[in-house]
Amino acid sequence: MTVLRTVAVGFDGSPDAEAALRWSVAVANRVGADVVVVHATGLLEHLDRPAAAGDLEAGVRALAAEEGLDPGRLRWQAGDGDPCSVLLRAADPPISADLLVVGSRGQGAHAGLTLGSTSHELAEHASIPLVIVPSGRPAG
Amino acid sequence: MLIVSGSTGEPEHSRAGHPERPERVAAALAGVDELRLGSDLTVVPPLVATRAQLARVHAVAYLDQLAAFCRGGGGDLDPDTYATADSWDAACRSAGGGLAAIDALRRQGDGVAFVATRPPGHHALRDRPLGFCLLNNVAVAAAELTAAGERVLIVDWDVHHGNGTQEIFWDDPNVLYVSTHEWPLFPGTGRAREVGGPRALGHIVNVPLPAGATGDVVRRAIDDVAAPAIDDFKPTWVLVSAGFDAHRADPLAGLELSSVDFAGLASMVAAFAPQPGRLVLFLEGGYDLGALRQSVAAALGALVGAAHPTDDPTSGGPGMELVAQARAERIAALRRAEELVLPEGSAL
Repeated sequence: MTVLRTVAVGFDGSPDAEAALRWSVAVANRVGADVVVVHATGLLEHLDRPAAAGDLEAGVRALAAEEGLDPGRLRWQAGDGDPCSVLLRAADPPISADLLVVGSRGQGAHAGLTLGSTSHELAEHASIPLVIVPSGRPAG
Repeated sequence: MLIVSGSTGEPEHSRAGHPERPERVAAALAGVDELRLGSDLTVVPPLVATRAQLARVHAVAYLDQLAAFCRGGGGDLDPDTYATADSWDAACRSAGGGLAAIDALRRQGDGVAFVATRPPGHHALRDRPLGFCLLNNVAVAAAELTAAGERVLIVDWDVHHGNGTQEIFWDDPNVLYVSTHEWPLFPGTGRAREVGGPRALGHIVNVPLPAGATGDVVRRAIDDVAAPAIDDFKPTWVLVSAGFDAHRADPLAGLELSSVDFAGLASMVAAFAPQPGRLVLFLEGGYDLGALRQSVAAALGALVGAAHPTDDPTSGGPGMELVAQARAERIAALRRAEELVLPEGSAL
């Protein structure tokens, strides 16, 4: 039985990513796991990186606190790359996640289209258990 | 002789406020105009890459999906990359730009070619769009050449690692891919230890450089890390993923090259071509229009002997020690890989 120590959750600021973060925090609170919020920094974000990434991180910390997560158990990890590649790396050190969580659709993706779908790509390539949180699902 | 395979800039493939925009092609062509080449300039229209030509480097299912997505009106493909209803046609023309350039060079038997088309291509993966790129233009051209028995060197001096090109030719012994790029930076790939697959060990050469690195560091990277591999490979054609976003004015990255640094790089790369008429440069990135115009003029001017001084070469930035480190990491990675691949007792 895998011990759940670290939950990595993808976050791009979309409503689905918020749902995935709430679900991850709820699970982490139940089992005492840490939550690492993984953000993929794309090309366009380099045009306004400090503001964009800073705003996202602040929003994540506020949301996690609202869900009752101990701030000491939350980490923000931004990495350069496309969302799929950055999230797949969460299984490796230094994050070494036991579970990967994403929303069903992130920013810049169209419902029903597998092209450009991060969750679809992760389902094919993830080396650790993957949870795809459906849109609109209540936390917990 | 300069052959330019240019497009209109594909105004139908655009989005308000996006840095990868039609004006980039106009800026690049303005750089060509500054050289005042007269009858030494030949402009050819891009071909339209066929499904068979695209399928050499892209999954057929991906081509079908992308075409259908565009037919449906397009939209966002990821946070960086978009398509419109006209993007499929634009991407096929962009991928055909290199094919037109190769045809023209073969007919002339002389000169160099510049492919001034968009959307760019080097991030496009076998089965996925990425980083403003829909189809991998330089890969389509390289595959056309390897299908004809050629050995193709691709030098990628764009500030971003060409992860798509690397993935496509990872295990292809007929292609040598060399990239200098800022790291860490999008797309997160391009470590020196990435050296190629078992059939093509050593055919990927990556030199990641820190933000602030200057032209002398990039030149050292090519001299010390790439040149030995290129000499061994003996290319019959040289293609360049010529992004100009390593320029210090570029808004998307942090390398500190000047326009004239690209002239030096172009001259270095041209020396790897076995004979005249075997060198094609492809426009990849470059998002400051003034820097793009000046850098294109400097690079192409160096290749055709139309010197175009705009500024001074840069030097003294960080990263020189990382070039030696990249060389050591590459050698170590090759030794590890060869131990896995070669029978015991085989020579390295």
